[in-house]
Parts: sequence; structure tokens; C-alpha cells
Amino acid sequence: MVVLRAGLCPGLTEEMIQLLRANGIRTVVDFVSSDLEEVAQKCSLSYKALVAVRRVLLAQFSAFPTNGADLYEELKSSTAILPTGSPSLDQLLDSGLYTGEVTELMGAPGSGKTQVCLGIAASVSLGLKQHVLFLDSTGGFTASRLYQILRARAEDGEEQLEALQRIQVVRVFNIYEMLSALQELRDRLSQQVVSSMGPLKIVVIDSVSAVIYPLLGGKHSEGLAIMMQLARELKTLAKEFSLAVVVTNQVTRESSTGPLKPALGRSWSFVPSTRVLLESKEATWEKATTQRVASLAKSSRQPTGIQVELDIGNGDVQELSPATLTQGL
Amino acid sequence: MQREVGSLPLAPALRAKLVAAGFQTAQELLETGPCGLSKELGISKEEALEALQVVRQECPGDVARTAGGSGITRKCTALELLEEEQAQGSIITFCSALDSILGGGVQLTKITEICGAPGVGKTQLCMQLAVDVQIPECFGGVAGEAVFIDTEGSFMVDRVVDIATACVQHCQLIAEAHQEEDHLKALETFSLESILSHIYYFRCRDYIELLAQVYLLPDFLSEHSKVRLVVVDGIAFPFRHDFEDLSLRTRLLNGLAQQLIIIAHDHKSAVVLTNQMTTRIGQNQSTLVPALVSWLPRCAASSCHSKCRRY
Repeated sequence: MVVLRAGLCPGLTEEMIQLLRANGIRTVVDFVSSDLEEVAQKCSLSYKALVAVRRVLLAQFSAFPTNGADLYEELKSSTAILPTGSPSLDQLLDSGLYTGEVTELMGAPGSGKTQVCLGIAASVSLGLKQHVLFLDSTGGFTASRLYQILRARAEDGEEQLEALQRIQVVRVFNIYEMLSALQELRDRLSQQVVSSMGPLKIVVIDSVSAVIYPLLGGKHSEGLAIMMQLARELKTLAKEFSLAVVVTNQVTRESSTGPLKPALGRSWSFVPSTRVLLESKEATWEKATTQRVASLAKSSRQPTGIQVELDIGNGDVQELSPATLTQGL
Repeated sequence: MQREVGSLPLAPALRAKLVAAGFQTAQELLETGPCGLSKELGISKEEALEALQVVRQECPGDVARTAGGSGITRKCTALELLEEEQAQGSIITFCSALDSILGGGVQLTKITEICGAPGVGKTQLCMQLAVDVQIPECFGGVAGEAVFIDTEGSFMVDRVVDIATACVQHCQLIAEAHQEEDHLKALETFSLESILSHIYYFRCRDYIELLAQVYLLPDFLSEHSKVRLVVVDGIAFPFRHDFEDLSLRTRLLNGLAQQLIIIAHDHKSAVVLTNQMTTRIGQNQSTLVPALVSWLPRCAASSCHSKCRRY
């Protein structure tokens, strides 16, 4: 709903705008959807000028359809699949993280979401030599742990340091800071400013629920509105700039014994195209274990319910369990 | 500066008016100016001016941006973070087993939660930490001050006096053994009186006082910049009774958690929380779990003491 302003297109002068406004036409939508003959009569403006302005406005503001074949060609040339650093997780995600999509990792506290995110950042930075943007909202990003993962995967000290330099970390502790950081990223990418940030292919956000939870619930729907703003920002970033976006989310239960379900409700469930649930193998306090089970909860490419085992320690995973089909979430 | 109007921190009613009037980006708002804005939206000039100030704060001008400065001060590469972390000290607990599982001691800029059944020693450990944070750097400490927020009323000053006296004696023994000049100089300022005077104690009796205290803490910390430890003894206690609206409780706790994370990060201090245990009754057996489990995700480390495993 863009407001009509002088200079929006050639031929739209300030007096035209005043006349139009006096007759209740304030935005582009009002203008384009009104009967131009009537408007020409009421505002005593030339019909030809109005038609010309309308043509320019339509060209500027409407979306253009493409056909399926063109779309497919574009997709083939612009989509990349990024490895997560863990072969079994790659297998779960149909060979890795797809750019242009939002992938969600969800799990209970301590299930390994931040560890998997660190692993992904390390793998993209070290293996593909691409830059990574890591938005940390929980304070859980530990550079020494990242360094440990890099040391386990690469021998050369130089390479490790370079990989560390390619990962940019931004700490955002509330929703407005997060939106501001994403907006800044969008501005930078669209202006193609040559800065220390090289080619960016992936944005990792840990975690999305930490900044949205304090706003949800209660009588006001403001929290939902902000959440949807964030959703739109993430999807636009992913699609327009061919980035892979990885977010982490918590899980809740209906009652104390019910099954786990992702937090942030039904509205958020439409945002990520792929959802992976992380769980500990044996939920006890006693045994220290680095084994986790990842199951596919939502995917547009694979059948849901596939489970794989993951080791979030230093070893890249192995242990492969043949995909077992269990009840999907 | 294409920041969308919907994503600016303005009051919802104002935002709704802006969107209805057709404003889409922050740039358009700034171009219109306060008079134009108040006319279009039907709000007073003061309100329009306030709104524009908020917008200007959120979107620093292009000049600042190209000069390399950024409104977000928390941006750095992983390499810089690594160097920062390696240079950071941690608060020792004087119990080597505990220090080793915590990776050297209680980490600064992180939240540590200590949970346990009643009587197992959580408050004692917190009091020990409040004294240990003040150990001078030449003895391996972080030379900071401590803030102690008490919700259960279990802070005993005489016990702190005992702990502090023992700590000072320990440091004196080290100084005598090594006979270095900076040790002796540090000992002049490290005495019982100075330790006690650098523990700032707050007593909160219900959840409102606790929330108020935590939200006001950044102002206090900016005046007392040497604080390196914030202890909240009994984080679950005020929230467990008399709370009818459970979704409000979750919201408040999450807001509290984010505030504590901000404090830990911006002031480079360690935040230590103690939590109670509750019993989860399962199908065949019951297990002891920390209370308010949804609280856990915020903590970097969570150590659980059970009665049979005391360190």
C-alpha cells in the first residue's frame, strides 16, 4: 500500500496528488483500481495523463508471472546444497541444506541444537570456504567449542584461523535487534557492498524462540504480528539472495506426559520447509553421552519419520542406522 | 534504509495507524517529518516527534554505516570471540572436582544454574563464589565485586565472614610461600572488611520485586562497573506459588532469562542461579528434575547435586 507521492513516476505532479487526495485516492492501489473516466471528470485532470500514469505504476509495482520451465532453470542454476558436516544428517536432509529455504532444528534443552549449528558453521566455513552469519540470541555461542570442532576436522592451523574469520557472530538479545540485524544484512546484500564480508551462503539463527517467547500469549496479538514479520524477513532473505537459513526452536508438550511438539505454535509451523527434531538417546542425568537421534518431522522431499543417529562430539558421525520408519510427529 | 514500519519498536496502536496511512518503510517516515506525520495520522506533534526519534535511533544514518560504525555493537568474527574467551578468566570455586567439570570454574558471560534438593549446599556454594570473585588477579582470581539477590532469605552473614576469613588466610599462605611483591601489595586491600563491603545484597520477597530488581540491574551495574558476579539465589521460588496464569509465568520467565543473558554478556559477568528440585512422576518411577524445566535452555551449564553425590 504505497502512498502516492510526487515523483513516484514521471507525470505524477504535486497538484495532481492534491486533487486526487481530495477525492479520496491516496495510495497506488486506490488509483489503479478506480475508474479513470470518473476520476478525470471529478478531478478535472486529463484522461490521457491518468492512463499514462497508471501504466507506469502498474509496471513498477506489479509482480510478473514466470512459467514453470523458466523457474526450474533458475532453480537449477541458483540453488546450492550445503553439507552440514555430518553425513547422517545430510542423508536426513536429502544431501544437505538447500539454499532458498528455511530449515528448522528443534529439540529440548540440551538436545544438541547449538552443537549442530556450530558443526554446520564449521563445515561451510572450512569445507566450502564460504562466509557464515551466526545470529546468537541465547548467549550459547562458544568460540572455543567451535575451535575444537575445526581442529578435529582440519590439520592446518592457518586454515582453522581463516575459517574462524569467515564466521561472523552477531549477538541479538531481543526481537527488534534481530530484525535490525537482518535488515542490515538485506541492505548490504542488495547494494553488493564490497566489505570484509565475502560471499555469504548461509545464515544460522540460534534461537528464534528465545526472542519471540516473551511476546507471545496474553491478550495482545502483537507477538504474533512481530513473529510473522520475522518469518517474512527470513523467507525473503532466503529466496531473494539464495541463502540457506537455519533456525533453532524449542519444543513444548501439551500436558506433562504428552508428545513433544514444536514451540511457537501453528503459525510458525508454516515457515520452515524442513523440520528436524533432535532428541537424546537416553534421557538421564547420570550418563554423559554425545549420542543424539534426529528425526525428520516436516519435509517437502523426503518421507517424514526417518530417523538417524548423530554424534555431536568431535567425531563425524557414523553409526548408521538404516532409516527406520517410525510414527511421524 | 528500507526498514519496514511493522518491524520498528513502536506502540501497536501507532503502528496500525502508520500502516493504514500507507507508510511502508522507515525512510518514508523520516522524509515526511513530524508536522506531516501528525497531520496524516491525526496524532499530536509531540507523539510524532517521539516516534521519529525512535525511528532515528533504530536506523542509524547511512553516513554512520559507511564509516564502518554499526548500531549493533555486538558484532565480531569468531576469531575475535575466541581471543576474547581465551583471555577471560573464570571464578574458581576452591573445589577442584567442581572446577574441572565446569571447565576451569564458573565462566564469565555465561549463566550457570545450580540445582539440588534442599540442604545440599546451593546457597553455601553461592556465598563461596561471592567471596571467590574478589580474589585479586595475582592469585588467579578476577578481582571483581558481587551482587547477591536473595529470594529465600537464606543468606547468613556470619557464614560469609567465616568463608572470607578462610579465603584471606589461604591467600596469605600463598603470599608467604612465594614472597612476591605484587602478592603482598594485593593483600593490603584484600581483607575481611573489603570483601564484605563489595558484596551488594538485595532481598526480593515476591516475583514482582525480583523482576523489578533484575530489570533495574543494568543501571546499577553501569555505576558499579567492577561487578563480575550476579547470584540469584532461588530463581524458581517466587514463581512457584500463587501463579494462576501459567502462560504469563512462562512469558515472565523467558523475559527474565533474556534480561539475565543481556546482563551476563554486556557487563562481562557470570550469572549464577539456584533452582529447586521437583519430582516428575512417570509411568513406573518418579525422577527428581529441576523445577520449571522450561527454564533450562538459557543456561550454559547446569550442575545438579543430589544428596548422595556431594562434592
